[in-house]
Amino acid sequence: MHKIADVVMARNIMKANNKLADKNQAKFDESDVFCVDFVGAIGSGKTYLIEKIIDTVDEKIGVLAGDIISDLDAGRIESHNVPVVGLNTGRECHLDAHLVSHGLKDMPLDDIDYLFVENVGNLICPVDFALGSHMRIVVVSVTEGDDTVEKHPYIFQDADLVVINKIDLAEAVGASVDKMVADAHKHNPDVKVITSSLKQGKGLEEIISAIEEFKNNM
Amino acid sequence: MHEFSMAQGILNAVLETAEENDANKVTDIVIQIGKLAMLNPEQLTFMLNVLIEDTIAENANIVIEDIDVEIKCYNCDYEGIGDVDDSDHYLPMILCPKCESHRVNVLNGKDVTIKNISIEKEDEDDE
Repeated sequence: MHKIADVVMARNIMKANNKLADKNQAKFDESDVFCVDFVGAIGSGKTYLIEKIIDTVDEKIGVLAGDIISDLDAGRIESHNVPVVGLNTGRECHLDAHLVSHGLKDMPLDDIDYLFVENVGNLICPVDFALGSHMRIVVVSVTEGDDTVEKHPYIFQDADLVVINKIDLAEAVGASVDKMVADAHKHNPDVKVITSSLKQGKGLEEIISAIEEFKNNM
Repeated sequence: MHEFSMAQGILNAVLETAEENDANKVTDIVIQIGKLAMLNPEQLTFMLNVLIEDTIAENANIVIEDIDVEIKCYNCDYEGIGDVDDSDHYLPMILCPKCESHRVNVLNGKDVTIKNISIEKEDEDDE
């Protein structure tokens, strides 16, 4: 005879990640490190932005560079003489708090002021996975098409700063920067949006000030 | 596309709970998915159906329940279920039902929870 039973589980699958994210943030706070998470599509300019900030500011920066399988991004950033840990997700489309916590083991948190975490190029999956960062910057480039912001509401809703990059190419690819800015504000009315052309150095100072300002307002 | 790792996490938790309860079969798995989670219920179900093969959860009925989005409106202070506007999006946008503002704080609706499972086990009286 079989007995049939209902077992209440109420097991939140996301909770494990969120708990780890909180732990990561506690670690950052302990070492007085401000952590910024950079998300954006492949080729939006995340790595380049990180390199540019490193070259411009005096603060000590460490970087966790996420990539599916390569260490190319980590190598690029390493050439700027800052501590870098490459995080390979293997098959996964996003970083999670667990991977970040692994990367932290090799990161000298007490020697840095800022930790930059570069997520895997993806505007979708990172939404579900908090990493423990204090601030999330979403980088989008006009070459992805000016409907990219409109099509990915959630990542922009969670953004603390939106960077619309490669605006020097907008005309060539027929993209409306104004539309992209308006779409970002539709998803996230109060978010700061900065338009940039990082190759030409445009917008960089503004981005650095915005990070500083966000940090000071926390 | 992290449905696979999610499905794996769900199945591990289900099998663990089933074992703790001396189950020899899992007949139903009820999963709640917030309307704002970046998961496709159909894909998740598909993955789960593949993963449960050759486990005690094989052939289990997988039930997915949508969870409404709870919000607090920054604009008018409304607190409760948010309106889902999917008129020009496959992905729903959330707005305040009272003042139609998008300036809302999402309190609930992003999570994925295994609500409960139904199991079969030997009746102790028969032993």
